[in-house]
Amino acid sequence: MINFILRSSIDQRWLVLAIVFALSLLGAWNYQQLPIDAVPDITNVQVQVNTEAPGYSPLETEQRITFPVETGLAGLPNLAYTRSLSRYGLSQVTVVFDEGTDIYFARNLINERLGVLRSQLPDGLEPEMGPISTGLGEIFMYTVSALPNAIQADGSAYDSTALREIQDWIIRPQLMLVDGVNEINSAGGFEKQFHVTPDPSKLLRWNIGIQEVVEALRNNNSNRGAGYIEPNGQQLLVRSTGQLQTFEDIENVTLAIRGDVPIRIADVAEVSIGSQLRTGAATRDGVETVLGTAFMLMGENTRTVARDVAVKLKEVNATLPNGVVAEAVYDRTILVDKTIRTVQRNLVGGAILVITVLFLLLGNIRAAIITMAVIPISMLGTFTGMVSFGVSANLMSLGALDFGLIVDGGVIIVENSVRRLAEAQKQNKGLLSREQRLQVVFDATNEVIRPSLFGVGIITFVYLPIFALSGIEGKMFHPMAITVILALSTAMILSFTLIPAALALFMTGKISEQENILIRALKWAYHPVLVLSLKLRWLVLTVAAGLVGFCILLTGSLGSEFIPQLDEGDIAMHALRIPGTGLEQAVRMQLALEERIARFPEVEKVFSKIGTPEVATDPMPPGVADTFLMLKPRDEWQDSNKTKADFLAELEKAVMELPGNNYEFTQPIEMRFNELISGVRADLGIKVFGDDLEQLLLSATQVQAIIEPIQGATDVQVEQLTGLPILTVVPKREVLARYGINVSDLQSLVATAMGGETAGLIYEGDRRFELIVRLPEELRTNVHRLERLPVPTSSFIDGPGYVPLSEIATIESSISPNQVNRENGKRRIVITANIRGRDLGSFVAEAKQRIQSQLQLPPGYYVEYGGTFQQLESARDRLTLVVPITLLLIFGILLMVFSSFKDALIIFTGIPLALTGGVMALWFRGMPLSISAGVGFIALSGVAVLNGLIMLSFIRRLVEEKKDLVTAIVEGAMTRLRPVLMTALVASLGFIPMALNTNIGAEVQRPLATVVIGGIISSTLLTLIVLPAFYRIVHWREIRR
Amino acid sequence: MSIRSRYLRKVPIVAMCLVLAQGLSAQEHEHEEGEVETGRHGGRLLEDGDFTVELAIFEQGVPPEYRAWAFTGDQELSPDDWRMSVQLTRLGGQTDDFTFSNTGEYLLGSGIVEEPHSFDVRVSASYQGREFNWEYESYEGRVLMSADLAEAMDIGVRVAGEQTLHQTLLLYGKISPDPKLVSHITARYPGLIQSVMPSLGDAVSQGDLIVTIEANDSLQTYEIHAPISGIVVDSHANPGEFAGDQHLLTVANYQNVWADLNVFPGEAQRIKSGQEVELRMGELTANSTIRYLNPGEGLSPHVLARVPLSNPDLTWTPGLLIEADVTVGEFEVALAVETNALQTFRDWQVVFIQIGDSFEIRPVELGRSDARFTEVLSGLNPGDRYVVENSYLLKADLEKSGAVHDH
Repeated sequence: MINFILRSSIDQRWLVLAIVFALSLLGAWNYQQLPIDAVPDITNVQVQVNTEAPGYSPLETEQRITFPVETGLAGLPNLAYTRSLSRYGLSQVTVVFDEGTDIYFARNLINERLGVLRSQLPDGLEPEMGPISTGLGEIFMYTVSALPNAIQADGSAYDSTALREIQDWIIRPQLMLVDGVNEINSAGGFEKQFHVTPDPSKLLRWNIGIQEVVEALRNNNSNRGAGYIEPNGQQLLVRSTGQLQTFEDIENVTLAIRGDVPIRIADVAEVSIGSQLRTGAATRDGVETVLGTAFMLMGENTRTVARDVAVKLKEVNATLPNGVVAEAVYDRTILVDKTIRTVQRNLVGGAILVITVLFLLLGNIRAAIITMAVIPISMLGTFTGMVSFGVSANLMSLGALDFGLIVDGGVIIVENSVRRLAEAQKQNKGLLSREQRLQVVFDATNEVIRPSLFGVGIITFVYLPIFALSGIEGKMFHPMAITVILALSTAMILSFTLIPAALALFMTGKISEQENILIRALKWAYHPVLVLSLKLRWLVLTVAAGLVGFCILLTGSLGSEFIPQLDEGDIAMHALRIPGTGLEQAVRMQLALEERIARFPEVEKVFSKIGTPEVATDPMPPGVADTFLMLKPRDEWQDSNKTKADFLAELEKAVMELPGNNYEFTQPIEMRFNELISGVRADLGIKVFGDDLEQLLLSATQVQAIIEPIQGATDVQVEQLTGLPILTVVPKREVLARYGINVSDLQSLVATAMGGETAGLIYEGDRRFELIVRLPEELRTNVHRLERLPVPTSSFIDGPGYVPLSEIATIESSISPNQVNRENGKRRIVITANIRGRDLGSFVAEAKQRIQSQLQLPPGYYVEYGGTFQQLESARDRLTLVVPITLLLIFGILLMVFSSFKDALIIFTGIPLALTGGVMALWFRGMPLSISAGVGFIALSGVAVLNGLIMLSFIRRLVEEKKDLVTAIVEGAMTRLRPVLMTALVASLGFIPMALNTNIGAEVQRPLATVVIGGIISSTLLTLIVLPAFYRIVHWREIRR
Repeated sequence: MSIRSRYLRKVPIVAMCLVLAQGLSAQEHEHEEGEVETGRHGGRLLEDGDFTVELAIFEQGVPPEYRAWAFTGDQELSPDDWRMSVQLTRLGGQTDDFTFSNTGEYLLGSGIVEEPHSFDVRVSASYQGREFNWEYESYEGRVLMSADLAEAMDIGVRVAGEQTLHQTLLLYGKISPDPKLVSHITARYPGLIQSVMPSLGDAVSQGDLIVTIEANDSLQTYEIHAPISGIVVDSHANPGEFAGDQHLLTVANYQNVWADLNVFPGEAQRIKSGQEVELRMGELTANSTIRYLNPGEGLSPHVLARVPLSNPDLTWTPGLLIEADVTVGEFEVALAVETNALQTFRDWQVVFIQIGDSFEIRPVELGRSDARFTEVLSGLNPGDRYVVENSYLLKADLEKSGAVHDH
């Protein structure tokens, strides 16, 4: 088969070139389509269903909205689980689907159910699905602000209501049109509303209820079409206008006639521009502002979309009123460009080093160029593959590419062909004929193609266990494995098609295969070492074994982490305040905080989102703020030695001084992922499910008491779900009955008076603003006045026509749940614990056992266990199974190639030897073990096997040629010095830029590169020294012959 | 990027892949807080050589009290063998001294340990002729904040002291005329109206001739004089018309009117005659007192509080709807704080006092209050500087460690 392909590649060399050229063009085209991002997307397939319920308390939200929505969505196909939260005014149900479910399919299913559900929800509430976006979706943010002297058309300064109006009606509609934008979310400012604020005593005077005001406005605010008439053959449309447009229109609406006097709105109420009861705010550099966030549609190209939004925003700026500016504050392009530039720089640097080495060691420019050609072509092939597999180009996917590894297969073939061509020319005493040349190329390729293919095949093969990872680790590393495997297989295919074809075509002319001075020097140095090691073979073996043992010990002293943190360059900081903190209070605290942060010279700008934005993508309570700190580039810092960690420490110290705030530090993308994935973020999460919140809290406290004494338990915490102060108006039913007032009348009165009621819309062109009836602000905010609020009653004809609220209801203030969490349709409370100084498995087992024996739960209550321990366990289980199998398979392949157990074993020993170098390199650079480093070790095992393979296959051939064992070993090792060095050198040099780079994103690749470089150095040395000695030991019997 | 990195510390992927690192040692994390060593009775351990005192504040079922035990090595000493005393110095320099008496099982401190349990503690003990002394800080509910920062945060401080409280109740009502000052004039004998002097709206004085009528029976003309001074507010009489039973003119005097305030059962006990009232109608205000309470005819559950009101300018027209603030209580209290200053902390009502850079809670027992001030019965001393504006910040700071971000 291979023979046939080789033969036809050489015969049809022009065709091969043409095909490769065509495929390269395809790759180049695909490169344009390739989504580019900073990191892989680790969001699960989820749909958020948000229902805004103005005025609903957490318990009502849960009972009236969350429960029906959740139950309505239960049983969807591919549903993994649902979770929900019910807060003041918001119900959010997150529906998570099985991996691989098509998001549009999922949304369709949900949409269908929601249609049915609407009838079960309270009037006027609309469940809506969140944007089709992922954790990487928040790609662009901007603020809308007014210059200091800017004034509005009416001469007043721009306030946050006016800015919000500009955001909602000028900026947002235009940005929504940008391709790939799924949502523009607004936060901050106040939505403009028309407020009609009746004075209760004036209403009383005319005996008009607040509901009548609402009714009157509703009935006097519409246009109506009235068909058409056709006088004189001309069609005339008839319409009657009645929409309210100006303050005067509203003031002149007649409420009632008393005596002969029409009572107008103006007689009982003020009409003004007011502001909504907002749930969120935004600030920037210590000033309130309006913040817009662009959400990218799932699967779009981050860089393009963010760039397009930025361009569009510039255009929009030109259309804004004088003095108002919309300014980008966060642009993902910057991060993506930086990381991609880092990757590019690494790859290009690696490629240059590889080419240099090839040229130096091969001593033949044409051969070097042919080998080098593999790099761009296989990259283009990889892009095609990435696009069809839906893998985006990012730090992780491109991060493990090593051009050294890619060209390894090619190097072996080219090296052998060059050597053989040179020898043939020497024999032929002159140039070869075309047939001769083709034949030599064929033979030379054929000679090494199998070890080369096997070697590269094994490097590819070792990446397979990565596919066994699932969950977040899987999403993180699958793209990397796919990309590497794509690149390696492309290179592998090229090595027996393009390379022989190109060799046949271009290696004309005189092949000066002068072993250059470098190789000769190396050989001169290598020979005595080799001989000595054969002599002291037992010592060599012991030292090698000792080294391996030492490194195993050393591993224990390395720290470990999941993967190195991508430094996004910016800081996202949660500022947290106690539950029950009001929004305006939080804004004041946030402004003080920002003002403090802005004093740091390193901070370019700081802006924050407080509470819940318009679309509740991240429903935070009003006390919580996402604070974004955009830092100046490092080279603009006054103290250029200061690291980001130093800065963070300073920042933390400074902000901790401000009273009342607690903080969590993270980064923008990281934060978003956390928010969306949002499982239990602790080692162990014990979830108690049940119905009664009090009982849940009680049981949770019991669980906490049971867990705390267990050895190894730290940070045992019960989820904080209470603490929301509530003012409750409790109707006195018997008194109500005496006055002939229904509970609902009372409730709607209180709701209208305090929260306001929408009485229609006011249109200004396209813009539409709500017309709200509610009490004047000074009455609304005063609890004493609320008690005295007159409630109209008609039960006593001679009576005053009203009764004060305190007469028919008691007003109580109490602390109630600030949030109700549910999972899979049941209320739940979580107790989290981290485990220190003890292995997770035994801890969890003990905790389970203790809880089972000590915890008394009422019927219908149950406990479930979750947390990272599950992922850890599953990852460990998978890998304990898959990794040995893979190693076994490699061994099987080796066995197949050599049909010798001994030889396979010899090559296999190269793996631990290679790993020693990796471990020592990590230790030397003070880096912890991480999955990135682990991937490095994976690549390393491949290279080690390849090295051994090259060496061993040649020695074996020589032995078969009936040479003496020692001679065969020495001769084989000497001949193979060059290819071994070349493959090793290119592979490690290819990673050098990656290991040394300090730019944004480099920290993720650095451990991998470090491991590979260290490992290859040790592996090469050991292959050259230990392997021959080991071979000698294992094959000692053959020496007698 | 490094989601969960903290927790996946020991992900054995690397180890497994490579059959390398079986024994990744668990990383120890140092405890962040300097935790106080506690003894077998749950109290704080004070050690000096082999002599150890365990001092606990016991508050289960009893007001907080000090209990103490002593040990040499592991051996618990009989309370007969040793003695001790405790001095607490609170913020502001107030000191509480405790002597200890023997209960047979432990030494019991004299008196209650008042909330908040925030003080510098000085413990002295003697055992076998040896003296031991310990000092430590035990703070709760205390926030340190520099004067600059407090000013930047707009923390406003007032001095607590005596105060006059005005408790008021908002009532709604109507202006009604004094029934004695409204006169409906009718013809004594039916007849023909000869002349009518005043027109609608004219003022008349008592005794003024207002109507002349020719009686039907006698054909005598007789005069009707104004019975009261006032204004003609209604007129149904014109010369030549027949005067029968109908009201010819209505003369009313609005110089003095009544405000009828509606008092509902829930507030009836608090409203008494003689209470001061401030009447309001838009910009218009007037002061008066409640003359009497009129239970009405029993058709409606409310009673009327009647307030006389002199109305020389005639601005308070009958039928006008008014608001009234009735002063239902007015008293001097020895100590009061602004109601804004009150915060809840645990299950206490607290105010924050300021001493230097320290702010500390003072759980207070509250008495009566008006719209602005609340009486403090105990827990605060006159002259204490307490935080009014932005006291929420201090509460938030004390409780912030519990603030977490759950999604």
